Amino acid sequence: MKRISRCGIGLLSFWVGAQRRGLVAVALGGAVFAGSCAAPGSGGDEEGGVRYEVVATVGMLADPLREILSGVEGVVVTQLIGEGVDPHGHTPTRQDVIALQRANLVFYNGLLLEGRMGDVLARTGGGSRPTYAVAEEVVGRGGWRGAERFREGDPHLWMDVSAWVVAVDVLADVLAGFDPDHEETIRGNAREYQEGLSDLDAYARTAVGSIPEAQRVLITAHDAFHYFGAAYGLEVHGIQGVSTESESGLRDLEALVSMVVERRIPAVFPETSVSDRSVRALQEGARARGHEVVIGGRLFSDSMGQPGTYSGTYVGMIDHNVTIIARALGGDVPERGFQGRLEP
Amino acid sequence: MWSHDPQVSAGELSLLWEVLTLRTHNTRLVVLATSLLGAASGVVGSFLLLRKRALMGDALAHATLPGLGIAFGVMTYFGMNARSLPGLLSGAVVTGVLGLLLMLAITRTTRLGDDVAMAIVLSVFFGFGVAVMGVVKALPGAAAAGLDAFLYGRPASMLAGDLVWIGGGAALVLVAVFLLFKELAALCFDEAFLEAQGFSSWWMDVVLLALVALVTVIGLQAVGLVLVIAYLIIPAAAARFWTQSLPRMTLVAAAVGAASGWAGATASALLPRMPAGAVIVLVASGFFAVSLLMAPARGLLPRLWRARVLRQRVRHQHVLRAVYEILEQAVRKDGPAQGVANRSCSFADLLVKRSWTPRQLRRILAREAGQGHLQRRSGGEVRLSEAGFGEAARVTRNHRLWEAYLVTHADIAPSHVDRDADMVEHILDAEMVARLEETLRAGQAWVPLPPSPHPMGPADRDRRDKDS
Amino acid sequence: MSWHVFDTWIVVIAALTAAACALPGTFLVLRRMSMMGDAISHAVLPGIAAAFLLAGTRTSPLLFLFAAVAGVLTALASDWISRIGGVERGAAMGVVFTTLFAIGLLMIVRAADHVDLDPSCVLFGAIELAPLDMYEWAGVTAPRAAWVGAAALVGNALLLGLFYKEMRLAAFDPGLAETLGFSPGRMHFLLMVMVAVTTVAAFEAVGSIMVIAMLVVPPATTLLLTRRLWVALVVAPALGILSALLGHLGALWIPHSFGLPPTSSSGMMAACTGLLFTLAWLFGPAGLSGMRRKRQPMTPEA
Repeated sequence: MKRISRCGIGLLSFWVGAQRRGLVAVALGGAVFAGSCAAPGSGGDEEGGVRYEVVATVGMLADPLREILSGVEGVVVTQLIGEGVDPHGHTPTRQDVIALQRANLVFYNGLLLEGRMGDVLARTGGGSRPTYAVAEEVVGRGGWRGAERFREGDPHLWMDVSAWVVAVDVLADVLAGFDPDHEETIRGNAREYQEGLSDLDAYARTAVGSIPEAQRVLITAHDAFHYFGAAYGLEVHGIQGVSTESESGLRDLEALVSMVVERRIPAVFPETSVSDRSVRALQEGARARGHEVVIGGRLFSDSMGQPGTYSGTYVGMIDHNVTIIARALGGDVPERGFQGRLEP
Repeated sequence: MWSHDPQVSAGELSLLWEVLTLRTHNTRLVVLATSLLGAASGVVGSFLLLRKRALMGDALAHATLPGLGIAFGVMTYFGMNARSLPGLLSGAVVTGVLGLLLMLAITRTTRLGDDVAMAIVLSVFFGFGVAVMGVVKALPGAAAAGLDAFLYGRPASMLAGDLVWIGGGAALVLVAVFLLFKELAALCFDEAFLEAQGFSSWWMDVVLLALVALVTVIGLQAVGLVLVIAYLIIPAAAARFWTQSLPRMTLVAAAVGAASGWAGATASALLPRMPAGAVIVLVASGFFAVSLLMAPARGLLPRLWRARVLRQRVRHQHVLRAVYEILEQAVRKDGPAQGVANRSCSFADLLVKRSWTPRQLRRILAREAGQGHLQRRSGGEVRLSEAGFGEAARVTRNHRLWEAYLVTHADIAPSHVDRDADMVEHILDAEMVARLEETLRAGQAWVPLPPSPHPMGPADRDRRDKDS
Repeated sequence: MSWHVFDTWIVVIAALTAAACALPGTFLVLRRMSMMGDAISHAVLPGIAAAFLLAGTRTSPLLFLFAAVAGVLTALASDWISRIGGVERGAAMGVVFTTLFAIGLLMIVRAADHVDLDPSCVLFGAIELAPLDMYEWAGVTAPRAAWVGAAALVGNALLLGLFYKEMRLAAFDPGLAETLGFSPGRMHFLLMVMVAVTTVAAFEAVGSIMVIAMLVVPPATTLLLTRRLWVALVVAPALGILSALLGHLGALWIPHSFGLPPTSSSGMMAACTGLLFTLAWLFGPAGLSGMRRKRQPMTPEA
C-alpha cells in the first residue's frame, strides 16, 4: 500500500504548506487529492517482477541500454525525451519526474545536451539515485577517433560511432557493477552490440570514402555534425550555430553559396528538428548563380526516428544519416543502407 | 577587415562593391526585404507608439503559440502533414488576432491600461500555448521537434517568396495608412473627435490591429521575433524625437526603419559572423540613441545645452546688475546730483548681493573678465569696462522695466516683484523690451531707468534658497 | 493518476513564487510597466553570454548573477529612457530589451556559436524538475526552488512592509511624495531592482512562462475587485496561489480525461491566472457587469 502512504505524505505536506500561507483553497485541494488517491488502478506502481529501473534521457542512450540489457529479467528501461523531440527544447514533464524518482540508475548524455535537466541531474548525482553523464565519461576515457577534435560545449558525440562504442563500455561497466549477478549477460550483450557498432563504423567510413574527394562537404541547417565530420573525413558547415536563438550572418551564407557553386557540391541537408528555410535560401542562392544544388533527405541531428521503426534505433539513425549523405553527395552506397533495413 | 595587405584590400573593395550594388541573390534579397519591412513597420509603429501600444507586436507573436499547437494537433490527428506551413500559420494567426481583440476588449471595458491588457494576453496565451504543446507533443505519431521555433525565420535565410510577401504587405500598409491617415491620427490624438466625425474608434483600433498583425506575421517568418518587435518600436520611437507632426513622424520612422535594414544587412554581408537580425536591431538602436541625445527639438543634449546657455545668461545678467546696483547705492550715498559713475567695487560687496558662493562668484567674474566686461584688480576689486558698464545698465534697465510692468499691470506687490522679474527678464529679447517700454510709456509709468521699487540690500533669504 | 509528494512540492513552489511575484507585480501594473517580465525574459541573453565567455562553462553562479544584472539593467535603462527622453514606457522597454538581446546574440555568434546558450536551455528552470533538487537548511529539507521562492517572498514582503507608505505615494502621487520629503525616484529604483531580482531568481527556479503571468495577471485581476492597495497586496498573492493550485490540477486532469499524459504545469498555471482574470472581468464589480459605470483611474484608499 505504498501508494496510499505516498498520498498521505503528499496531503500532509500540502496541508502544512497551506497552513503556512493561509491558503484559501485548502478545502478544494484536499477534496481533489482525496479523490485522486481513491481513483483505482490509475497509478503506475506495478511492482510485479521488476528488480530495478534504468532511465535514460535520450534515445541514443536508451536504445543501447535496451540492447545491453536484453535477456536480463526484471529490468525496465525508460526513455524521457521522446523521439521527434529536440532535447535542447524539451520541457520536462511530470512523467519525467516520476520516472526519475523511481529510477535506480539514471543515464544522461551530459555536455549540456539536456539543458537545465542536465544541471539538476548533475547536482542530484551521487545520492540515492546514481546518475551518469555518459558522453562526459566518454570524453574522459578517450580512445575514440575524433577525441582530439573534442569541442567544449558540443554534445553531439554520438555522431561518431567509435565514441559510442566507448559509451557502450561505460554503460556496461555501470550496469555490471550495479547488477553483478548478470554481469556475464551484460558484458556479452555489450560485446555483441559493440561488434555491430564497429561494422556500422566501418560502413560509414566506406560510404563516406566512396564520395568523390572534392565533394566531401556536409552542409546542414545547424552545427550538429562536427564529430561526424571529424570521424569520417567530411568538411562540415552548419548554416546556423547550435543555439536555437542563433542566426547566420549574410556574408557567411554567401560564402557557403560560393563554396557550393565553386566546388559543384551536389547536395545540402535539412534536419528533422530545424526549419529547412536556411537550406532553401542556400539553394536559391546557388541556383541564381547557375548551380542546381539538391536538398538531400532530412538528417537526424538531435533526435531519432519514430519508436518501433529502424530509424528509431541508434544504428538505424546513423545508417539513415550516413546513407543519405553519401548517396546525395555522389558516393556509392547500397540502396537500403548498412543492413538492408532502410526504407528506400 | 581593413588589412593593409593590398591584395586583401582589393578583395575587400570588390566585395564592398558587390554588396553595395546588390550583385548576389541572397544579399539582394535580404537587403531589399529588410529595408522594405523596416519602412512598413516604421509607419505602423508610429501609430502604435502614439496609441501607447508599442509592444503589441510582441503580444501578438506570443499569442500565436496556442494556435500553432492546436493546428499541429489537429493535422496530426487527421493524419495530414502536420508541419505544413499554411496550416500552422493559419492556426497561429487565428489565436494571435484573437489575443489582440481580447486585449482591445479588456482596455475598453475595464480601467486597466493598455500595457496590462497586453501583458495579460501575452502571458496567458503563451502559457496556454505551452500547455497545448505539451499535449500535442504526446500525440501518437507527432514529430514536434523544433515546432516552437518553426514560424521564426532569420534574415539571412530569406527566400524569394518572402520578398513577395513583404512587398505585398508593405504596399497594403501604405495604401491603408494613406487612405485612413486622418482617422488613424485622430485615433492617436483625439478619440472624441474621431467619434464625433462618425467613425467608431473601436473599428479604427481593429484596422490598426490588422496592420500590426500583417506586419508581425509576415515579419516573424522572414526575420524572426526580436527583429519584428524592434522594427515596430525603435524607428517610431527615434522619429518621435525629431518632429511633432504625425505625417513627418511616419516618414522619418519609415526612413529610419529602411536605413537600419539596409545598413544592418549590408554590414552582415560585409563582415563575417555578423548575424543580420541582431546587427539591424543594433543599427536601429544606434539611430534611437542618436535621436535621444541629439535631436534638435527633443533630444537630451540640445535640451541640456539650452538649459546651460540660459543659466549662463542668467549669471551674466545677475553679476552685471549686482555691480550696477552697488554703484547705484554708492551714488545715493554721495548725493543724488551725480549720475551713476563707473568705479571699482569690492568682491565682498558683490558676494553679499546674491546667494552665490565665493567659488561660484570667482568663476562668474573670470568669465565676464574673459568677455571683456570687467577687470579684476588686486585685493578683489572689480571694475566694469566701458562695454561692461553699458551692458550692466541695459540689463538693470530691463529688470526694472519688467518690475515696473509687473507692479503696474500685473498687480504684484513691490516686495515680491524682484523675484518674479528675475524669472522672466533673462529671456526678454529686444522686441519684447520695446513692447514693455511702449506699454509702460502709455501707462505714464515711464522713466529712463526706473529706480528699484524695493529697497536694495544683500540677497534676502528667499533668493538664497532659490539659487542654492 | 495518483498524487505524489512532488506534486505537493510543485504546488508549494509555484505558490511561493506566485506570491513573491504578485507583490512587486501589483506596483508594476499600477505604474504601467506590466510588460517588464517579458522584457527581462528576452534581455537576460547578454548576461548569459558574458558569464559564459568569462567563466567558460554554462553552469556557473556567474550566469545567474550576470542574468540578474541584465535584468536590473533592463528595468533601470527603460525607466531612464522613458523619463529622460519622454518615451512611452512600453516603447522604452521594447527599445532596451531588443537591443540587449541583439547584443547578446552578437556575442554568442561571434564567440560561442557551437554552444547552446539559449536562455530557455541554460537559465530558465522547470517547475516539474524543481522537487528533485533538494537543499537542506536549518534542519529542513526542501526543494531549492522552494527556498528561492520563500526568500523572494519574505524579502519582498519585508521591503514592502518597510516602505509601504512611500511606495504607495510614489506609485499614486509622485508629486505629493516629493513634497512630503521622500524621493519617489529612490522608491522607483528600489521597486525596479525588486522586480528584476525576483523575476530572474524565479526564472532560474521555475522557468519563465508562469513567472511572466504571475507578475501581472493576479494583480490585474485584483485591481478589478478592489480599489484599496493593501487589500490588493493581500488578494493578488492569494489569486496567484490559487492559480498555481488550479494550474497543476488542470495540467494533470485535463489531458488525462482525453487519455493523454499530463502537460506542462507552468503553462497551465499561466493559463489559470487568465481564467481567474476572465471570471473577475465578466462578473467582478469593475468588469463587464459594471461597465456602464464611468471609468475612473485607480486611486489609493478611495
